[in-house]
Amino acid sequence: MSAPAEERLRTALAWVVIALIAGPIAGAVLLGVAHGDSPCILCWGQRASMVLIALVALFVLRYGPRPRYLGLVVLLGVWGQYMALRHSALHLARDIGQGFAASILGAHTYIWAWFIHVTVLAVIGVLLLFVREMPVAGTVRETRRLDRFAFLFFLVVVAANALQAFASTGPPPFVGQGDPVRLSLDPRHWVWSLEEYQPYPISWRGSWAVPQPDPAAVEADPARGPLQNLPRLAVAGWERVAAPLQGTLSGLARDSATGRWLAVTDRFGVYLLDSGLSRVLHRVVVDRGFSVQLTPFAGAAFVGGDTLAVVSTNKSWVLLRPDSAADAGREWRRFRETDGAVTELGRGRFATVRARQQYVLSLAYDPAAREYVTVSVPSPRHRRLVVSRFARGDRMLSSEFLPRLSGGLTLAGEERSLAEYVVTGATVADGRLYAVSAAYSTLLVVDLASRAVSAAYAVPGIRRPVGVAVRGPRLLIAQADGRIAVLERPAP
Amino acid sequence: MEFLNFLIILWAAWLVWRRPERERLAFRLLVTSCVLMALLFLLGSRGSLLPGVNL
Repeated sequence: MSAPAEERLRTALAWVVIALIAGPIAGAVLLGVAHGDSPCILCWGQRASMVLIALVALFVLRYGPRPRYLGLVVLLGVWGQYMALRHSALHLARDIGQGFAASILGAHTYIWAWFIHVTVLAVIGVLLLFVREMPVAGTVRETRRLDRFAFLFFLVVVAANALQAFASTGPPPFVGQGDPVRLSLDPRHWVWSLEEYQPYPISWRGSWAVPQPDPAAVEADPARGPLQNLPRLAVAGWERVAAPLQGTLSGLARDSATGRWLAVTDRFGVYLLDSGLSRVLHRVVVDRGFSVQLTPFAGAAFVGGDTLAVVSTNKSWVLLRPDSAADAGREWRRFRETDGAVTELGRGRFATVRARQQYVLSLAYDPAAREYVTVSVPSPRHRRLVVSRFARGDRMLSSEFLPRLSGGLTLAGEERSLAEYVVTGATVADGRLYAVSAAYSTLLVVDLASRAVSAAYAVPGIRRPVGVAVRGPRLLIAQADGRIAVLERPAP
Repeated sequence: MEFLNFLIILWAAWLVWRRPERERLAFRLLVTSCVLMALLFLLGSRGSLLPGVNL
């Protein structure tokens, strides 16, 4: 490399150091001094990474571009992006204006850290792109005036960061805090913390590590359930879904106006059946890909008129309608198979608050309130039984509640809870939610007005229930094997 | 520990500028600081190492 070319490269590098230090690193200290902004433990990591990138640039200024310097700065750029993404994910999906700590030019510091690390990698790429041959490495370069300024500026700003770190996080072994306090230069206000050392499990996904529910693996004996001394509902008879279905039945609903049935299967099949459960009136196999992610179908409901609602275990929904004028060419993109007389009205996702990170295995529709109803199933990470209601019009959350117990129901012990039930089928009738649980073969009756479990019944003899429906004075509980238990509907 | 890390960085930068013949020590300090930075971040994020969103 010619001497003038190397000079230009070194000048560019010196300015990169100065810009990096003057911008985010010095800016962060000024934010702290002027506004009390104090980094959390994750912010400190991102700030240190930017400082280290500038330090590597100083190495290159002094010793030339050795491969290990270039390797290290690329690693720092990649690691910095990981840190920024990991950190930003805590806040990105929150509501408007609900970021964390200070924002600069409309973006929070964790976003700026991502931008800067991307920029660093881009700058390295540009610099390497314009270097025709690498300068000779291994010899110590004399520092020029600009280089000396870059070194001095670096030392001053990093020293200021060290002082801020001392006030904010303390000497070793203290470390940065998850939720830092306002920066103060008054030692009486300093909070030094060891909280981050507290032992808790290392996890890749944390609260997002939620396995798909498996109703086949639950305890079915009602006597072992969390509710004590439940009255029994005896199975008075059996019916059967005689129509051929593709896959295992995973949800069943009945339209009280027409007597027709809506069945869904774990292979994304949706079947409109006649009142005798023997004839398929319409059928589609929904394409689960290329749009809103659909996990196996878990529930179905009639939503007034001819609208059919289907929900996946991940709370994604699909709305369908029988339509003799359906355009098969237009619907091809939505269905793997179709009888040619069904239209998809839309698909989307139910967003919950209390039931977030929980799957569902049921769907009901409350015609009086014009609301969809889901019931969450527990997981090792999230043990809650949450009833969520969504407006029919916009499918947005209307209300959520954790039902309390009433009607003299008591738990079998302090450690027991309603969250032990795994509701796999639900329907609404007369202001009550009838929810059947595969765990402990129990029927829960939830009074939707008082938000309480007003009654519960042991239903021995059912196996892997997937749906529940009301037919006059009867209650019908569908099983995954296609059999339907017929019971007397308990009096309110 | 963040304070210690900045001291290590200052030491490395000082060596590069004023004691350039100590490149080996300075680079070791640089790597040590990188490792410390990474460990501190992992300490703060070990409950969920991957971003807490739909991946």
